[in-house]
Amino acid sequence: MATMKQIATSPLLLAGVIIGLLYITLFSLAYFKKAYDRCLQFGMTKEELKSVIKSSAIFSIVPSLSIVIGLFTLIAVLGTTWSWWRLSVIGSLSYETMISSSIASIMNYSSAADMMANASGQEFGVIMILMSIGMLAGFFILIPLGRKLCTSVDQTSNDVNDTSKDWNSVLSGTFMLTMLAVYIPIILIGDTIQALVMITGLIIAIALGVLAAKPKLRWLNEFIMAFSMIGGMVSALLWTKIF
Amino acid sequence: MSKNTKVKVQLDPFQEWCHKWGRIGTVLALAYMVALPFVVLAYYNCIPSAGQVLNLGSLGILMIYIPVGISEAISYTPIMGSASYLAFITGNIMNLKLPVAVNAMKLSGKQQNTAEGEAVASIAIAVCSVMTIAILTLAALLGAMIAPVFELEAVKTMSNYLVPALFGSMTLGLFASTANGKKVVKNGIMGVVPVLIIVSILSLFVRITSGGSLFGMVGFLILGMLPVAIISSRIMYKKGIIKVVPKEEK
Repeated sequence: MATMKQIATSPLLLAGVIIGLLYITLFSLAYFKKAYDRCLQFGMTKEELKSVIKSSAIFSIVPSLSIVIGLFTLIAVLGTTWSWWRLSVIGSLSYETMISSSIASIMNYSSAADMMANASGQEFGVIMILMSIGMLAGFFILIPLGRKLCTSVDQTSNDVNDTSKDWNSVLSGTFMLTMLAVYIPIILIGDTIQALVMITGLIIAIALGVLAAKPKLRWLNEFIMAFSMIGGMVSALLWTKIF
Repeated sequence: MSKNTKVKVQLDPFQEWCHKWGRIGTVLALAYMVALPFVVLAYYNCIPSAGQVLNLGSLGILMIYIPVGISEAISYTPIMGSASYLAFITGNIMNLKLPVAVNAMKLSGKQQNTAEGEAVASIAIAVCSVMTIAILTLAALLGAMIAPVFELEAVKTMSNYLVPALFGSMTLGLFASTANGKKVVKNGIMGVVPVLIIVSILSLFVRITSGGSLFGMVGFLILGMLPVAIISSRIMYKKGIIKVVPKEEK
């Protein structure tokens, strides 16, 4: 019977992960091509689209680095191949990190290293299956109801006198505002350092917004969210020292 | 037209393409993701029994994440629109895909839940997905060389505060995104005032009584607060407190 280590480092698993990642990359590129062409048809210029692409790429770097930290945590528990797969696709950093921190004790091992050295292939199978099915719940809503959820708030209208979609405009904003109205009090009231980090990010965003209003600094608009997020995260070093 | 006549919603060709091929692509990807461990385990003759998979410890973890998954689908799909299929299949929505989509729509001046907004969000999420895969591939390949950098205490501390920093950077954009190009929603924030009050009281109660935070309960809370916000917004819309008015020409 194979061991956890043999399966975690097996060429078959590696080949399966590479094929899966190629599929996801192709899926992303197909989406990109379709959306890019449609944006051009909508009258957006190539310059505008280039700016969206550049800003999105830059914005992605810092959160991706946080995921890299999660990757290294996970590698210690589950090996490189499976960790790389889980965090590149469907997985969420918080879910995978939670699994990785609790899985060894659930499987009755004293530590992650103990588990990697002594766990059987079947035990690793339990982990792989558990991680694969854990995040499926959302898809049972998205796949059958995705279109309905989107069309219920669709607010595309060419006529300023058409009031039939006015409620859709309100409803559409409500989802975003609810997320905001739940997160903000939790962050501001629940934890002092989280509150200070959030306020710092907000102040930086406002300051950059003011600067970006100047004609010579208009380019800053593309980076307001990225810079204020990085600034907020860096400020955590100061706040954790003070409090 | 009669008020009760049901009209089939006409979507933009791009949105139609996403709902058809996005759905097919997602089902294929899901089938592959679920099949992969079984194929590998079958090869090594190591498939565990259902009883081994569904024990008390594993069920505890699943019970936390099933509501989170449902909550994410219900609350984030209407924000990202037809770009949701790609966002969900590539994961890390709250800490990566949603902010990148909001940033792109804000930058291009497009509104969510319009064909233009969803096309721009799709570009952003596609770019972000490929970037993340590339960065993680590089990290996995160079693991031994770069791991020490990510084990620095300062880097770990900064990483722990990603979500609050994200909200600091997103807040202005969220408040500003209430226009659909030709019309603007006035006082939309009033609809979520009951949510703000309820969550503030709950947060304060938990902080005072246990010194803790409701951060781990966000998924449940969003799911529970959405009906409150929708009903409250509807009432205020009907009473004329929340208004949708033509955007003033500059």
